[in-house]
Amino acid sequence: MKYLTYIFRNARRNPVRTGLTVASTAICLFLMMILLSFFSMNEEASQNSKVYNRVIVMNANGFAGMIPIARVRQIAGMEGVAAASPFSWYGGKYQNERALFAQFACNADSIFNVLDEFKLAPDQLAAFVASKDGAVIGPKLARDYNLKVGDSLPLQGDIYPVDLKLVIKGIYDSPSNTDQRMCLFHYEYLDDLLKTSGTAGGLSNPNGTTAGSGNAGMVFVKCKSADATTAVCKRVDEEYKSTEFPTRTQTEEAFGQMFSEMMGDLKDTIYWIGGAVVISLLFVAGNAMAMSMRERTTEVAVLKAIGFSKSKVLFLVLAEAVLVAGLGGAIGTLGCKGLCDAVDVSRFMGGFLPFYYVPWNTALIGLGVSLFVGLVSGLAPAVIASNTSVVDGLRKVV
Amino acid sequence: MIPFKYNVRNLRVRWKTTLMTVLGTALLVASSCILFGLVEGLEHSLKISGDPLDLIVLRKGATAETTGGFESKKADELLTLGGILHDAEGPIAAKELLNIAIAERNRSDDQRPSFNNLIIRGVQPASRKLRPNFKIIAGRDIEAGKGECIVSPGIARLYKGGQVGGQLVFGEKEKYRVVGVFTAGGSAAESEVWADLKDVERNTGREASVSCVQIRAAGPAEFDALRKEIDEGAQFRLAAIPEAEYFRKQSESSLFLKGAGTLIAVLLTFGAMFAAANTMFSAVKSRTREIGTMRALGFSRGDVLFSFLGESILLSLLGGLLGLLATIPMSLISIETSNFATFASVTINFRFGPWVMAVALIMTLVMGLFGGMLPALRAVKLEVISALREL
Repeated sequence: MKYLTYIFRNARRNPVRTGLTVASTAICLFLMMILLSFFSMNEEASQNSKVYNRVIVMNANGFAGMIPIARVRQIAGMEGVAAASPFSWYGGKYQNERALFAQFACNADSIFNVLDEFKLAPDQLAAFVASKDGAVIGPKLARDYNLKVGDSLPLQGDIYPVDLKLVIKGIYDSPSNTDQRMCLFHYEYLDDLLKTSGTAGGLSNPNGTTAGSGNAGMVFVKCKSADATTAVCKRVDEEYKSTEFPTRTQTEEAFGQMFSEMMGDLKDTIYWIGGAVVISLLFVAGNAMAMSMRERTTEVAVLKAIGFSKSKVLFLVLAEAVLVAGLGGAIGTLGCKGLCDAVDVSRFMGGFLPFYYVPWNTALIGLGVSLFVGLVSGLAPAVIASNTSVVDGLRKVV
Repeated sequence: MIPFKYNVRNLRVRWKTTLMTVLGTALLVASSCILFGLVEGLEHSLKISGDPLDLIVLRKGATAETTGGFESKKADELLTLGGILHDAEGPIAAKELLNIAIAERNRSDDQRPSFNNLIIRGVQPASRKLRPNFKIIAGRDIEAGKGECIVSPGIARLYKGGQVGGQLVFGEKEKYRVVGVFTAGGSAAESEVWADLKDVERNTGREASVSCVQIRAAGPAEFDALRKEIDEGAQFRLAAIPEAEYFRKQSESSLFLKGAGTLIAVLLTFGAMFAAANTMFSAVKSRTREIGTMRALGFSRGDVLFSFLGESILLSLLGGLLGLLATIPMSLISIETSNFATFASVTINFRFGPWVMAVALIMTLVMGLFGGMLPALRAVKLEVISALREL
């Protein structure tokens, strides 16, 4: 610790160089945070969803498959199940454009029991339940389009051949790492429109019923306890195994991971790019450190002449490298975290991501990486410095 | 002018520093190029459309084939319209039915099974003529009604049972035996599984509907007439969209990737710029006496400025070139991810085209120019006498 002042002085000796090294480290780490958070926050969000004990039922064949609506009631009555609601993707257009928010048809009575971290004022909930064309939207969606309770929200069908004329009855509140741009509305409203429209749209199996109606889409199920989730998944799939529409039931966590898996090779590509950035940082920081040590050859020799041991010189140089890289890393990672916390970045992502933030553990990983970069980049210059003989060092003219 | 050779020699003399800087910037340039290569690959696959006379017919209001279904009866009528190009086998028009279903990936390295959604396209014989350069490159084409399918090379490689002779399984009822591998000039079809329309209809229970009808008009006049008739005719009320326009709309989904790629490239450029500046600052510092000498010999301030800027640009060009070279093997690789508009798998071939070149060039020029500017200005500002006196 007593050498701290000396290390600081050394780092400040060539402020331009140190500044540039800090800046390039900071920028690279900033970028790395953006790339890594992309995956880690989704992972964190889906892991956090564990506490809600939810399972999600979909057709074994995928999103486009069908689950007859009658099953929602059957599933709700199963052992271990607290509540169930259809959760049917409408995917309509808003203001003639592809809408940049999710729209789901659900059961108004049970949806806020299923999604129990989503809070809605009791009077708004009552109003929503009471009106057939009512809708509840997220706070960010309300802000984006300047919508408030009582406004109408017309949606045009894209997947479905029917348009919705929704009226906003409430604005929910939910934790920041959930989708705050959803629009929820009555399943019955959509289904009735489909019954009278008579066309199938882009849907699978109309199943003899009036075209397109009767499909629950996905079913969100709230289980009574954490222990029940696995059993419920099994029970649901067993029940419908040999029917015309077998199901694939998984916990919400696994469901979230499925989306992450859908990134496929893109994920690997981004990790590779992250790796390339770290390696290039090693070159850049190592180069800067080597340059500053070359300038200080005489000085290092003097240090050794007055009795500094090899290992002490090694330590001094390494400490300086770690300090500079760590400073850059701290600026980059914490700056990125601060920026993403302060500014709602997801707004500029064109609906691609419902939320965006840098999780703490990702920021810590970034800091760790910068310290590692400092250590490794300082290694070669430090070893050279500690090994130069006093005589050679003093003789050298830089 | 200070001879350029002087700068080249300088880079060679301090080869360790040069190498480090070049490697560092090369990796950053390569990273950006890889990202842009992906964006370009995605855009390319969406832009390739068969023929300017091709039309895609969807339900009015639908924006994509995957969501735009309508009744099969109407589709049959469409096929009989006048103005459609004919050849020996009949009209060049096809009903197609798309289904998106989960398939398991081939992953030996991972214990956990991994899944993605694939587009299964039920096609008619004419569908092949409507795609650019449709070719069977392994095995054979499908025979109708036998539950067979053909796949793109990417899917053959990545999915369980995707190889010729294997079986792709999508749930209990939807299974197709793979009999061949096809390419279609790098178009979006290369992310799909193709099966016979009848088989897909039966397996998905959607005999009564189609997703889209693809039509090639006989000529420009017929193209307009067909469009008008389908769009406005009382019996259809469908949307006939020129294929080029349809794919241009679809490629809007790559805008996000493009934006993200640009942001990343800009950040990396700054990172590399600082690295170049660092190197050049130290070059100027260690050559203070040389600069003084050159000025004393009669080289002007401008000469010195250009010399150092040139050296900086040369340094970053070397990095850019190396970075660009490093991306060449990438053009042989295709990656698989999902199109988050349809939630279905897309196979993207990395493309090493003008965009990627432009990015590399711009990055290196910006790096060299701005990274070298401050050090060069410092060199210019040196007083001749004090510079000569410098140790």
